Amino acid sequence: MATTATGTAPYTRDHGHVDDRSFLRKYIFSTDHKIIGIQFLLMSLTFLLLGGTLAMVMRWQLGFPGKPLPGGTLLPDTYTSNGVVLPEFYNSAVTMHGTFMVFFAIMPLLVGVFGNYLIPLKIGAPDMAFPRINMASFWTAVPAGLLMLAGFFVEGGSAAAGWTSYAPLSARSDLSGVHLGQIFWCLGLIVLGLSSIMGSFNYITTVINMRAPGMNWFRLPLSIWALFVTACLVLLAIPVLSGAAILLLFDQTIGTKFFEPTAGGQPLLWQHLFWFFGHPEVYILILPAMGMASDIIANGARKPVFGYTSMVLAIIAIGFLGWGVWGHHMFQSGMNPTLGTTFMISTLLISVPSAIKTFNWLGTIWQGNITFHVPMLHALAFVSMFVIGGLSGVFMAASPFDIYIHDTYFIVAHLHYVLFGGSLFAIFAAVTYWYPKMFGRMMSPFWGRVHFWLTLVFYNCVFFPMHQLGLHGHMRRIYDPTQYAFLREVQPVNVFISISAFCLFATQFIFAVNFIASWFTGEKAPNNPWLDNGLEWTVASPPPHGNFGATVPTVYRGPYEYSSPHSDKDYLPQNLPMPGGLGSAHPQQAGD
Amino acid sequence: MSHPDHPASPGTRPTHAHPNYILIWVFLAALTAVELSVAFLPWPKTVIILVLVGMAFWKAALVGLYYMHLRFEPKRLRILAIAPLPLFAVLVLAVITEYIW
Amino acid sequence: MAHAAAMHEDVMLPPPSREAGAGVYNEKLGMWIFLGSEVMFFTALIGTYVILRFAHPSSWKAPGQVLNIPVTAINTFLLICSSVTMVKAFAAAQDGLQRQLRLWLLATVIIGASFVGVQVYEYTHLIEKGFVPSEGLYGSTFYTMTGFHGFHVTMGVICMMFVTARAFQGKYTKDDHRGVEVIGLYWHFVDLVWIILFTIVYLI
Repeated sequence: MATTATGTAPYTRDHGHVDDRSFLRKYIFSTDHKIIGIQFLLMSLTFLLLGGTLAMVMRWQLGFPGKPLPGGTLLPDTYTSNGVVLPEFYNSAVTMHGTFMVFFAIMPLLVGVFGNYLIPLKIGAPDMAFPRINMASFWTAVPAGLLMLAGFFVEGGSAAAGWTSYAPLSARSDLSGVHLGQIFWCLGLIVLGLSSIMGSFNYITTVINMRAPGMNWFRLPLSIWALFVTACLVLLAIPVLSGAAILLLFDQTIGTKFFEPTAGGQPLLWQHLFWFFGHPEVYILILPAMGMASDIIANGARKPVFGYTSMVLAIIAIGFLGWGVWGHHMFQSGMNPTLGTTFMISTLLISVPSAIKTFNWLGTIWQGNITFHVPMLHALAFVSMFVIGGLSGVFMAASPFDIYIHDTYFIVAHLHYVLFGGSLFAIFAAVTYWYPKMFGRMMSPFWGRVHFWLTLVFYNCVFFPMHQLGLHGHMRRIYDPTQYAFLREVQPVNVFISISAFCLFATQFIFAVNFIASWFTGEKAPNNPWLDNGLEWTVASPPPHGNFGATVPTVYRGPYEYSSPHSDKDYLPQNLPMPGGLGSAHPQQAGD
Repeated sequence: MSHPDHPASPGTRPTHAHPNYILIWVFLAALTAVELSVAFLPWPKTVIILVLVGMAFWKAALVGLYYMHLRFEPKRLRILAIAPLPLFAVLVLAVITEYIW
Repeated sequence: MAHAAAMHEDVMLPPPSREAGAGVYNEKLGMWIFLGSEVMFFTALIGTYVILRFAHPSSWKAPGQVLNIPVTAINTFLLICSSVTMVKAFAAAQDGLQRQLRLWLLATVIIGASFVGVQVYEYTHLIEKGFVPSEGLYGSTFYTMTGFHGFHVTMGVICMMFVTARAFQGKYTKDDHRGVEVIGLYWHFVDLVWIILFTIVYLI
């Protein structure tokens, strides 16, 4: 440490170094994985808010069709007439809500934020394998988001063919009424694809090659396992989407005929390509949530994760099986029925690893000495909501049942139970859990609890009745449900859902204020506020540039040694050497 | 692309003699010539397609094994390199059943 | 703590890889993983071609009727040559032969650029003949697949120029020539894709 005092070195990799990078290099064009993670966090929370706002527009129209949207008169005439949402704008809102939430909120929140922030810290690496490519990954995601947003400001409005952009509706502007908006949608996705690929090959290389000594594969935290498998899925699935989006873009701009049925093109091909990407995407959106929830549940229950190896194998199994189930999105598309049966069987099969994970979470909690801290509450909500979403998923995997509920609100309920109830609750858990490490301060636990309980209640009020609407035949993409007599009788349910949705949206401002205010006024965080075993909790909050300083940590055991009889505390950090040879830096198991 | 600050990078020293790169080049050129002539033979279309695709894979394998020196890499890297190929088969075979089943 | 010599920003970058895990250094592993995503990108394009051709065979003409096979055959030969010059450059780098390394790299850049040039020539003639992307499935798939391959070659030539410039500065030694090996992997991959494309687009 003496060398820092000589003054010859501007900074070293010791703790307490002087970091003389300019503001721009430190916070804007930073190559530090932690800063990039926080940048992704701010970007994706912004898009989460945007997507949520669009959802409110939709809920207003569905709950109160024909009534002027509050503030609607401020919008341009192409969006509203006398404040009433126009069908064209409703289509845009549906499309962009889905696009923003899937590609610019949930996916970057899970993969961009926590992939960046956690991987190097948890495996004991100083940074990503390719820090500059990592920076490029963030600065490609920003223009992608801007391209998507740009759609709102061009003639014809933003993309309006649904977030799945089925051809030929999306390919021909004479059908959708939107030309430039669809082009911006394709461009935005292609650019975002570049960003995702740069991110994912970085994560994979880092996990394979930069683990600290002793951190063998079966000592990796489940969050890292999940992020690793997710990165593999991103790496292989996103290029397919980019390719498909390029074909669609060419159909829209230079008149190619890929999806044009009059010239022999195949509209069904778009669906196959999209869902070939789209189903791995579903697991991209849930696997990291599962991994991080596992970490948090073990911490909250003060017990080792039940069945660690089966958890890892389940993640890997999902990673493989996820490639063979895409057709269950297309049971009603006129696809070859034999193919439909194949996909039905494979889809039922993939619920097995998910069920293994669920029972392991229950086994982890079983007889635990549970600490109900805010992240734990969110993680428990994640498990229960994921079970509901998962069970309705098993229903619709059966093609005879799917024929009945296809493209109804039942699907909307299911996908929000896994994406909001699943992924987003896990994201709330993870943000509150790692917030002290990111910003050096604690989020307010009181407001955290208030936000959690209100969100849980309103969330279920919004999405549970949607099952009922769906079984009643309420179409998924409909501008005005009251135009059908059979839907008029369930309109009170729509009103209830809408009011709950507004409350749910308002509740999120508690989180936003808590997030921002704690940044400045929160209680100072200790190094290890949750008494966790992970390597990231052994360094300062926030960790210095270069993470572990000059000493590379050596890992002696797995990450879930809670309530160990070998320790007088109820946790046992991964890098703590124990006398008597408990744990070893060079484990016997193969797996390096 | 590389960090000149860390000159002592391991792993780039050859652990094997150079393969005969020129011979492989001759093979590739010859196979291309054969492909060109096969394409215009009066054989049944299916046979021509099978022969041509077979030769294309042969050439691709030559490039992968020798020019990308996969033959001399650790086994796990070889597995990683061919890992995406089954996905191509899954996608194409599943979708083709739409038309030929 | 004797490590705190004059610190440069790059010190904050990860230390040279320890060849953990995969048994190869980071840049090479990263390139192989990236090539995996490239495989999937071409899976989308080639898969589309195969599927559309099965679905609607009548959109395609017999080989040689529209496309100029002699010109493309020469172009294929050019790309194969550029692969052998690339691999010779890599061999020279492994042996520490600076002069050969520079010459072989330069040759690769020139041959690679000629490939793109010939492709532009081919495109202009086809378009003059009225074979355009909007002509139908044949034109759509032809231009998309060969165009994206050409785009990859162009990117490769640009990166290769960068590597060549560094080679002329003597940046690649016998001990550390990661840049040459990594760009080589990309280059051979692009060649490999062309081998497949040439067969299925032009000859079938």
